[in-house]
Amino acid sequence: MLNVLLVEIDITDNLLENALSIIGFEVLKTQYDALFLTLVKETRPDILIFNLDTPPENLIHDLHILNLQFPLPVVIFSSDSRNETINKVMKAEVSALIIDGLTGHRINSVIQVAVARFKQQQVLKEALEEARHQLEDRKQIDRAKAILIKTQNFSEDEAYHTLRKLAMDRNITLGEMARNVIAMADLLK
Amino acid sequence: MKTFIKVTEIWIPDKNRTKLEFGSGLYGALTEFKTASEQQRFAYDEGLPGKAWSAGHPIVLNQFEHSYFKRTEAAQKAGLTCGIALPIFSGDFLLAVVVFLCGDDEDYAGAIEVWSNEPNEFSLHVMDGYYGTLEHFESISRQIYMPKGQGIPGIAWATGMPVLREDIGKVNEFIRSADAQQAGITTVLGIPVGNSDQQSYVMTFLSAKATPIAKRIQIWIPDLPGKKLVCQQGFSKNSNNLAEIFETITVKKGDGALGRVWLTGMPVISGNLDEAQYNPELDSLNSMLAIPVIEQGSLKAIVSFLF
Repeated sequence: MLNVLLVEIDITDNLLENALSIIGFEVLKTQYDALFLTLVKETRPDILIFNLDTPPENLIHDLHILNLQFPLPVVIFSSDSRNETINKVMKAEVSALIIDGLTGHRINSVIQVAVARFKQQQVLKEALEEARHQLEDRKQIDRAKAILIKTQNFSEDEAYHTLRKLAMDRNITLGEMARNVIAMADLLK
Repeated sequence: MKTFIKVTEIWIPDKNRTKLEFGSGLYGALTEFKTASEQQRFAYDEGLPGKAWSAGHPIVLNQFEHSYFKRTEAAQKAGLTCGIALPIFSGDFLLAVVVFLCGDDEDYAGAIEVWSNEPNEFSLHVMDGYYGTLEHFESISRQIYMPKGQGIPGIAWATGMPVLREDIGKVNEFIRSADAQQAGITTVLGIPVGNSDQQSYVMTFLSAKATPIAKRIQIWIPDLPGKKLVCQQGFSKNSNNLAEIFETITVKKGDGALGRVWLTGMPVISGNLDEAQYNPELDSLNSMLAIPVIEQGSLKAIVSFLF
């Protein structure tokens, strides 16, 4: 059973809460306020659902923070169809934004699509991060090779093999060894 | 790897050359103590650096409380219990004061000593020292006299050059080898610290394998033509083939940190001083203290401590 943190403008409105409960979600309902992020970190829901007229500026800011610290699927039901609002919300990496589309029979499919989309986004993010990391490693390796070529009069091949051997001897990655070489050279600068 | 020396500082004359101001320092994770230190200034004969300046030789301060040490509260909070100040002179004129601060005596086995001779005498004795919990070793050391050319301090005195020895329990040159073995001391570094016609001083750093003086120590000397620095010796607890590779390079006067020491006669701290990245458990070397050994206005050697 998935846990939903439901954020409503009108806390007395039970329509969406009831619909979610019928589907089988465990729902905790709240209003958006300054303690929103703390509540999310404490309750650790599986999904965030917002039912708002217009997402306030503070919420967009909080969603950015959430993405960095505690990413999870976010669904926003809103009646604000302005391009500016839509763009801001999408930049906050919301999994689904439904404008004037809160109808009982669609809720479950909307949520399932949002969760799937969120998972795919996470996979892409991780792949991007890995690619960035590898690129950074590549730069550092090239820099370390250049240092060895300059200080030891090595050829490029010799520099690479020396770096590789040093890394293997220490049981660390080539990137980490490159950083050690750069640090050592920096010491003597 | 934890090291025996917890904090290293370089204090330099201000622009009027009448006071010492903060030059640079290595504080590891002791950020509060660093902050307390950076704003300090010491007049001649004031505080530990000032006292070393006025004394003209290394000073050991074994206890900060109720002493002339100016940063006692901050030092106690940081777990620092002892300070050693090494003034670097060229002739009568002070270039800088290097301060070493140690602490956590129970966890670290080591000693720092200052040896000197009586005027016109040809043997050295311990003028003062910090021995941590090594009471027996201290007692033996304070009774010994080292003739010129004998023992590590005596050899440093005779040659005017730094001396580094490992496994000193088995080294004949080390007069206190049996006592050192008993105390768990394995490495000794002796540095001659300038001398007048009549009086000489040698600093020795002794440490155990588990808590070395620094992660690596190097001795660099000018080559015979005096054109480049070459590494005479490099030592660390574990072999370090990366450091060994870099110890094959030669250094021109003015080039890099070591070249600057040679050019100016000033000690230098280089490397990553960012405490945010500090991790004493990382094996990589990322900071260095380089100290000149000067005799009659010329550089004889540079001793580098790598952390």
